[in-house]
Amino acid sequence: MNTTVITDEEKQKAFKSLRKPETIEKQKLDVRYHIEDFDVSERPRRFLEAFAAILKHSNYKMALDHFIRMSAKCSRCATTCQVYQATGDLKDIPCYRSELLLSVYRRHFTIGGLIKGRLLGSGYLTDDKIQEMADSFWNCTACKRCSLECPSGIDHALITHLGRYILSEIGIAPRALVVSTREQLEGATKNTSAIPVPALKDTLEFLEDDMFEEKSVRIKFPIDVEDTEYVFFPAVSDFLMEAESLMGIAAVFTATGDSWTTGTGYFDGINYGLFYSDRMLERVVKKVDEETKRLRGKNILIGECGHASRSAKYFIPTYCGGKDAPLVINIMEYTYMVWKEGKLKFNPNIVTEKVAYHDPCNIARQRWIIDKPRELLKAFCKNYVEMTPSGENNICCGGGGGTVSIDELRTYRTTVGGKLKADQIRKSGCEILVAPCANCKKQLRELVEDQGIACEVVGLHDLIYKAIIFDDSLIEKEEAKSESLPKEN
Amino acid sequence: MESWLEFAKGPLFRLTFAIMLLGLIRIFMLDIWGIYKAYRKAGDKNMPWKLVLSRGLEWFFPVNRVARNRPFYSTFSTLFHIGLLVVPIFLYAHVKQWEKSIGISWITLPFDWAYWLTISTIVFAIALLMGRMFNKSSSFLSRKQDYLWPILLLIPFITGFVCAHLNVNPTYYQFFMLMHVLSGNLIFILIPFTKIAHCVLMPLSQVVCTIAWKFPPETDEAVCSTLNKKGAAV
Ligand code: HEM
Ligand code: SF4
Repeated sequence: MNTTVITDEEKQKAFKSLRKPETIEKQKLDVRYHIEDFDVSERPRRFLEAFAAILKHSNYKMALDHFIRMSAKCSRCATTCQVYQATGDLKDIPCYRSELLLSVYRRHFTIGGLIKGRLLGSGYLTDDKIQEMADSFWNCTACKRCSLECPSGIDHALITHLGRYILSEIGIAPRALVVSTREQLEGATKNTSAIPVPALKDTLEFLEDDMFEEKSVRIKFPIDVEDTEYVFFPAVSDFLMEAESLMGIAAVFTATGDSWTTGTGYFDGINYGLFYSDRMLERVVKKVDEETKRLRGKNILIGECGHASRSAKYFIPTYCGGKDAPLVINIMEYTYMVWKEGKLKFNPNIVTEKVAYHDPCNIARQRWIIDKPRELLKAFCKNYVEMTPSGENNICCGGGGGTVSIDELRTYRTTVGGKLKADQIRKSGCEILVAPCANCKKQLRELVEDQGIACEVVGLHDLIYKAIIFDDSLIEKEEAKSESLPKEN
Repeated sequence: MESWLEFAKGPLFRLTFAIMLLGLIRIFMLDIWGIYKAYRKAGDKNMPWKLVLSRGLEWFFPVNRVARNRPFYSTFSTLFHIGLLVVPIFLYAHVKQWEKSIGISWITLPFDWAYWLTISTIVFAIALLMGRMFNKSSSFLSRKQDYLWPILLLIPFITGFVCAHLNVNPTYYQFFMLMHVLSGNLIFILIPFTKIAHCVLMPLSQVVCTIAWKFPPETDEAVCSTLNKKGAAV
């Protein structure tokens, strides 16, 4: 896809820092996201110590060794990165971004680099280099699209991931993510949105009443039920912002009668560890596993959220027992499965607007779930359109990698990160954009608002809630029964 | 000059070829060893082999690449590689040399094919070089070796072409032949230590990337204790 680079004026807006000059001075770090105060002395030494400790206890070394031997510098990745496509700044080419960290590795952790450094007395890591990494690694939305385009197989997203992890060990990580994770792991409410359990219960009761009003069916959000088939972990922000998606999910379970529950011990699927620290990733994942075990649930069910799904699917097995870990599935897989089994019925005429589906990077890039939601949508949307490219090669919403939760990056996200996506949405002409991911939904709503695109962003289950037809035995009011039947064309 | 040529084609060739072979085996085994260790440590040992294989193979089918981004570059690069690999391995004169020294031979290129493939390799090497110089993002990323490799690879192709297809007088012939053999030897030595290592490491790339995301369990505690952060707040 060909796009034009943003204007200088837009660039200035996008890269404008909202931080106070005093803070920048004090923290000796000029980046666009807020950071908690940290020890600024001897940063290079501490960075290298953290790097060494991480290499010692991880599998990154093998990959870095491979990458430094391979890189062909063919600059294919430049053609795919939506950030570089929008800024036109050569320093945003994925391969350049990766080289920032690879050069540190080469210089400080390979024999050749150490000897060369000793002989020439040069190349020691500097504060400026750390500054550049702190800036660059958070320009990336970790969408991993560039890794598909690299013939050398260099996974730039892995390198960005590692770079952010090392930086976080010396105190450089976006405050928004750190504060939320702190509340989730050590706070009283144990979730990133700081929702207390009583408030959660109130919300769910309220939604149940609402749904009865609308559908005349007693749709429940079971709480703390033991021995269920599925223990449910949505992005916790859904309880505040995506009620309709949750209602759709509850409706599906009501229609099938399968057992599921939300645990009050821990109910947050969000895992910012995936974005800035493997240590936090591990801690959060373990909480999910613990709660599932407490409730003696069989499987872990993740709601409409890309990064929550990916961190559970790929890291529950990693940190919680390999083959013996509970199975993780995404709600779209469940809904698709029961629909195929004939347990769900939809009103095929209910959605007449032009609908498009946005693939969340964390769900589609590794070819995990691509066709299932599309088939579901086509079952009840009369006017479904496809955006290209899509599927495993989709274009990121522009708010990936945790950036969507960093409010001070909003302008950056909607002018730079999401520029290609905005062009794509406009071109598709869709009126409803379906994004089954809490991060994507927030970003896409801000994107269409800031870019002035007339398009409503919803979750997949928002539409399912609209289209679902319940069995008459579930409907309690007589007059509602005939209403729910599909109308003749 | 004749004795020099004999030396370059004989003992020197054997030495440099051995260095290349052992060097390539070394990095390949190091990579395999790294993969094995990482796999042993990984908490999740379930490998998506189908994905790994299909992503890996995508890069071996040129049509795939050409149809994607940078179509010209991909075409040049593919055609360049074909000549680069086919000509030295299947050239009649080269195969004869092998037969003479180790007694093994294999099919050879028809004269015409060799002629055109050599020319195409030269042309596409120059095209790649130009592409690198004049493409904004490529030239920004390029290191010295990225320019030097196509230039170095041109030398044996040009000198070989001169010797095989042009009528030059014997002194010149000897000189060109010496350059041909020496540059070839230099290439052999450099292959395992530069980016050309990709000729053996490429097939492992997707495996490496996949296993790299398979972290070992319990790293939180280990990293904390190495960094003296045990019990520290989030
Ligand atoms: C079977 C083995 C090989 C494979 C699969 C392979 C594959 C590749 C790939 C994928 C690239 C990246 C550029 C692109 O996307 O086309 C590349 C670049 C390159 N390869 Fe190979 N290669 C092989 C063997 C070799 C050998 C033996 C040499 C030289 C002796 C070589 C020299 C180069 C050079 C110089 C480049 C950089 C081209 C440029 O200037 O962009 N390759 N190779
Ligand atoms: S992961 Fe996505 S945003 Fe990051 S460098 Fe690659 S293409 Fe760009």
